[in-house]
Amino acid sequence: MEFAKKIVETTEEIFNTMIFMEISADAPLEQGKQALGCHISAMIGLTGGFSAMLGIHCPEAIGLAISGAMLGMEIEEIDADVKDALGEIANMVAGGLKERFAAENIDLELAIPTAISGKSYTIASSTRSNRVIIPFSIEQGQFFIEMKYNLN
Amino acid sequence: MKYAQDIADATQDIFSSMVMLDVTPEEPFKRVDSQLVNSISGIIGLAGTTKGMLAIHLPDKAALAITTAFLGMDVEEIDEDVCDAVGELANMLGGSMKTILDPGGSDVQLSMPSTIHGEEYAIDCLADAELVTVPFSFNGQTFMVELQISQSN
Repeated sequence: MEFAKKIVETTEEIFNTMIFMEISADAPLEQGKQALGCHISAMIGLTGGFSAMLGIHCPEAIGLAISGAMLGMEIEEIDADVKDALGEIANMVAGGLKERFAAENIDLELAIPTAISGKSYTIASSTRSNRVIIPFSIEQGQFFIEMKYNLN
Repeated sequence: MKYAQDIADATQDIFSSMVMLDVTPEEPFKRVDSQLVNSISGIIGLAGTTKGMLAIHLPDKAALAITTAFLGMDVEEIDEDVCDAVGELANMLGGSMKTILDPGGSDVQLSMPSTIHGEEYAIDCLADAELVTVPFSFNGQTFMVELQISQSN
């Protein structure tokens, strides 16, 4: 199903065309429980041909840089604009994946995005699920796109 | 509030039949701009003709007590078992809400659950969605079950 390849292509496309930011994908992280050290995340559920949860996880400075670029303004703290921007990115990446899977006759529907923010939190997936985490680099550092899935 | 009674009924059912705990629903409210402290949350997406997100938010102590009752073994820290149990609770609650939102059974589907654990974090609804939060109490402890439903399509 080439999850990693689809995630990289979709994320690069969204960042290039919607946020006008150059990003480069790094090697996927080992599967399993990883503490990503992030302060702002947005997650969205996908379901249909398989069930999944897609997330974007950013350290604070990266979340500010990405949402600032997307909204075209300086942002100094994680506020409602940052949460909305990351939720919109999660939504767009999930939508891009939906299109790519639809081309292979795998239909998916999207749920609604949710933001998670805070000084310290970890996100775990069920021990029975599969998980792909791709780090992406921008000038200021790394963020992560994560997809957990079960092929039903 | 719309769905508050459904959430109360579904949660009481699941807890009494699967976790063997009697839980009491309290007054529903809209939880906005509030931080969750030393807590664990299970979230699951609903997609299809109705889109939404169901969440259960548990203070660590409540999560340990519930997992102990659910798995029938003592758990003393938030570990993989607790995360799996909370994800499974979100999954079961999502399943109950799905049957209420979609009695025919073909129009709404559940995504995969995910769990969030931390000392201090916020979980915010982003979409233009209706939000209802129902608090529950048991044995002097509390937790919340929350539903966001997007009416736009």
